[in-house]
Amino acid sequence: VNPRFDLHVLAWLLVIVGAFLAVPLLVALLLGESTGPFLVTGAATIGVGLGIARATRTDDRRLRPRDGFVVVGAAWLVTSIVGALPYLVGGTLGPVDALFEAVSGFTTTGSTVVEDTAGLDRSLLLWRALTHWIGGMGIILFTIAILPLLGIGGMQLFRAEVPGPVADKVRPRLVETARILWAIYVGLTAAEVVALSLCGMSLFDSVCHTFATVATGGFSTRNGSVGDFDSAAIEWVVTAFMLFAGMNFVLHFRLFTGRVREVLCDVELRYFAAVVVVATVIVTLTRWGPGSTVEADLRSAAFHVVSIVTTTGFVADDFELWPALAQLVLLALMVLGGMSGSTGGGVKSLRIVLAVRSLRATLHRLLHPHAVIPVKYGGAVVTEGLLAEVWGFLLAYAAAAAVGSAVVAAHGYDLLTATSAALTALGNVGPGIGEVGAYDNFAHLPSLVKLTLSGLMLLGRLEIFTLLVLFSRRFWQR
Amino acid sequence: VGVPCDLAGAPEGVKAMDAVVVGGGLVGSTLAERLSQDGHSVTVVEQSASQLRSLSDHLDVATVHGSGSSVDSLRRAGIESCDVLFACTSSDEVNMVVALMGAAIFKVPRVVARLRAPETEASFQVIADKLPGEHVSLNPELAAVEKILSLLPVPGAVDVSPFLDGRLLIAGFPIRLGSDFGGLLLSHMRLLFAETPVMVVAIRRGSVWIVPHGDDEIRVGDLVYFALDRAEMTNVLALLGARPTTGRRVLVAGATRIGVAVAQRLESKGTAVTLVEADEAACREAAATLQRAMVVQGSPTDRALLEEEGTPHAAAFIACTDDHQVNVVASLLARRLGAAHTFALVDDPALSGLVGELGIDAVISPRLLTVGLAAQFVRRGRVRAAAALLEDHVEVVEAEITAGSRLTQSTLRDLALPRGVLVPAILRDGGLLVPRGDDRLQAGDRAVLAITAERAVELDAVLAE
Repeated sequence: VNPRFDLHVLAWLLVIVGAFLAVPLLVALLLGESTGPFLVTGAATIGVGLGIARATRTDDRRLRPRDGFVVVGAAWLVTSIVGALPYLVGGTLGPVDALFEAVSGFTTTGSTVVEDTAGLDRSLLLWRALTHWIGGMGIILFTIAILPLLGIGGMQLFRAEVPGPVADKVRPRLVETARILWAIYVGLTAAEVVALSLCGMSLFDSVCHTFATVATGGFSTRNGSVGDFDSAAIEWVVTAFMLFAGMNFVLHFRLFTGRVREVLCDVELRYFAAVVVVATVIVTLTRWGPGSTVEADLRSAAFHVVSIVTTTGFVADDFELWPALAQLVLLALMVLGGMSGSTGGGVKSLRIVLAVRSLRATLHRLLHPHAVIPVKYGGAVVTEGLLAEVWGFLLAYAAAAAVGSAVVAAHGYDLLTATSAALTALGNVGPGIGEVGAYDNFAHLPSLVKLTLSGLMLLGRLEIFTLLVLFSRRFWQR
Repeated sequence: VGVPCDLAGAPEGVKAMDAVVVGGGLVGSTLAERLSQDGHSVTVVEQSASQLRSLSDHLDVATVHGSGSSVDSLRRAGIESCDVLFACTSSDEVNMVVALMGAAIFKVPRVVARLRAPETEASFQVIADKLPGEHVSLNPELAAVEKILSLLPVPGAVDVSPFLDGRLLIAGFPIRLGSDFGGLLLSHMRLLFAETPVMVVAIRRGSVWIVPHGDDEIRVGDLVYFALDRAEMTNVLALLGARPTTGRRVLVAGATRIGVAVAQRLESKGTAVTLVEADEAACREAAATLQRAMVVQGSPTDRALLEEEGTPHAAAFIACTDDHQVNVVASLLARRLGAAHTFALVDDPALSGLVGELGIDAVISPRLLTVGLAAQFVRRGRVRAAAALLEDHVEVVEAEITAGSRLTQSTLRDLALPRGVLVPAILRDGGLLVPRGDDRLQAGDRAVLAITAERAVELDAVLAE
C-alpha cells in the first residue's frame, strides 16, 4: 500500500466533488435561495482537499491492487459524507437521513427519505439529482478522465469501480477510455434534456430527471415521480433513455463508430433485450382486464419493467396494486439488473449469462463424465477463475441480501418489506414493495435500518468484492 | 504398390524433367520414387546422412547432403537449371523459404511447397502469385480432410473423388457376397441405369487392374470403381447390399489438426460430432475451437469409453491420431463395437496393405494424397479438378472442351482416342449425361475421362492439342 499517494488521490477527489457544488450554488444564487449550505460545504471541501493534496505531494505514484481497493472504498465513503453536508448544514435533514440521501444519490439508488419534495429548495433538488449523475459514471472514472495524476495505476481503480465482471477498455489508453465513456455519458444527458423539454417539461425538471435517468438513479423532483407529469410522451422518452443507460457503454461506443453488427450480435445485449421483452409481456398479460388499452398497459408495463431492471427506480403507477405475479416479476428484475459496463446495478446480465452457461456445462458433464466442456462467451473460453468469481459474487450477493433483510425484519417489518428493501438497496434500484413501495419513502425506517441499507447500497454499487476485500484479514497483512 | 521401374527413360511424348526434391522424409522419398519412375531426373537434398544412404540405395536418384535452406546445397543440387522444385521438409518455414527462394532467385518455372498450416499457405500464395512461373502449395492435412469428407456421405466406399463440382463421384466399392452386382456383365449396367450416368471405370481383381470393356463381368471380391451421378447413390448403395445406417453421430479420434478440421467441417454441416483425445491440453484447445462438437478426454482405444460415448450407434468412426497404428487398432475396435463405418489415417504402406482385409472401410494416406497431387502438378500444371489416381494405376481427369479442339470434330468412336479411354460422363448445359460411341463432344462441355496410368501421357497429348 502507498498511503501517501492514496491520500493524495483522495484529496483531489474532494476538490472535484467540492467543485461540483458550484452548480447548485449558482442555481441558488439565480433563484435567490439560500446559498449557505453549498458555500460552506464547497469551501470547506475544497480547502481541506487542497491542503491535504499539498501536504501529501509525492513522487512515488505506484498503485498496487490493494491501493485500488483502499482508494475506491474510501473515495465513496468520503464523497457520500461530503454529499450529505448540504442537507445537514441547511438543516433540511438529520445526520443519518442526510447520509442515507447522499449514499442513495451517489450509488444511483434513488431511495429517498424526503417526504415532500415541494418543501425542498430547488437548488437542493438539483444537488440531489447531480449526486446521481456524478455517481452513475463513477467519480473515480471522472477523476481519471480530467486529472493525469494517476498514470498506469489508474487501471487498478478503474477495475475496482466499473460495474461488471470484466472491465473493458475501449481504447488502449485508460485516460482516453475514461474520456470516451464520459463523453458518451454527457452526450446521452444532452439528448435526454432536449427530448424531455420537447415533451413539455420545464428545463429544471428535465435536467433533474435526465441526471436521474442516465445514471439509472431514480430521484424525482415530484413526490409522485415521473407519473406526476401525467404524459405518455415523457414516459416513453424516459423508458428509452433508461434502456440506453442500462446498456453497456462500450456498445454505445461501437454504435457511434459504426460497428452496428457487433452490437446486434452481442450475447449480453440479446439476453438483456429478451429479459425486458418477456417481462413486459408477462406484466401486460397479468394486468389485462376490462378497461385495459394496449397503449396504456404496454407503456406502464414497459416503463416499470425497464425502470426496475435498469435499476433506475422511477415510478408512474402504483405497482403495489398489481397482481402478485407482476410484482414478483419486478422483484426478480431487481436482482437481475442492467448490463455490465452500464450505470445500472443488480447482479448484471453478463453474470447471469455466464452462470447459466456454467450450469448447463455442469449438467452436460454429469452425462459425459470424460467430456471436456468449456464455458464459452463470444467465441472465447471463459476461464475457471472468472466463473469462480461469478459464482462467488452470486453467493455474496445472496448473503448480503439475506443479512440486510434480517436487519430490516428484526425491526418488526413484514417479510415483503424486509426482503424488497434489502434487494432494492443492494441492487441500487430505489423503491421496494410493501412499506417501502412505489409511493412510500424510507423516512419512517429506524436509523440502524437506514445505515444498513446505505451500506448495502455502497456494497452493491462497488460490486461487493471491492468493499468485501477491505474486511478480509489477509488484506491488512503485510 | 509399384509399377515396374522403367529405367529406359520417360514414356514417349513426355519431356523428361530435372527435378529437385528438398527433404527426403516420407513424402520426399515417395515423391522422388514416383518422379523417377515417370522418367524424370531427380536430385534429393536431405540433411540426415542415414536417410540419404537408404534413398540412394533404393531409388535411382542423385542425392545432396545438406540443409534445404542453404543456398550452397541447393546450387549443388542444380536448382539453377531445374524444371521443377519440391520443398517437402518437415518444417513449413523451411519449405516456405526454399520454395520462395527457388521461385524468386533461381527462377524455377514450377515450384511446389508442402505447407501444413493454412495461414502459411495463404501467405505463400500471396507472394507466389507475384512471381513468374507456376507455384502451388500442397497441404497433406487439408487433402486428407477433403478426402475424409468426400468419403463420409458414401458409406461403404474405400475411396471417393468428386468431379464436375461434386455432381459426379468416382467411388470404389468392394463387391461382397450378396451384392446384386456380383456376376453382372458390364454391358448390362446400361439396362440398370438407363438414363443417369453410372459406369464402371476400373476393377481391381486380386492385384490386377482392369479398365473394363462391355464383356467384362463384376465378380464377388472385386474392388469396383464406379463413376456415378450423386443422385443415383442410394440406388447403387442398395444394389451393393450396403447396410442401412441408423446413427447420426460421427466419432473422431485424435484432436490433431486433421481431426479438429474434420470435426469443424462436420459440425458446420449440422452433424453431431464427438472428438476423442487422450491429451488434456489438446482437448482444451479443441474444445475452445469447436462450437457444438463434444470433446471427450480419453484414449481412443479405451473400449469402455468408446461404448459410453455412443460408438455402437455411430454413423462413422474416423481415426486421425498421429500414431497410425493406434488408428488401425481404434478403427477395428470401433468396428467391433458396432460403428457403421470406420476410417483410419494410415501412411505406412505396410500397414495400409493389411487394412483392407481387416474390415476398415477406408484408409486415408496424407502422404500418398500429397504425392499424387504433386505428380499431377508436374504433368499438367494447375488442373481444374483434382485427378483421381486409383492407387496409381488408373487416372481420371476432368477436361474442359474448347472450341476448335480435335475432340469436337467427330464422334467419340471415330476420334482415335488412346486405347482403353473411357468417358463416363459429360456436363453439358448443367445436365449430366453418359456419352455413347456415336455422340460428339461440343465446345463448352466438361468431360470426365479415365485411362490406365501407362497411357495417361497419350491422353494428355490429345487434350493438349
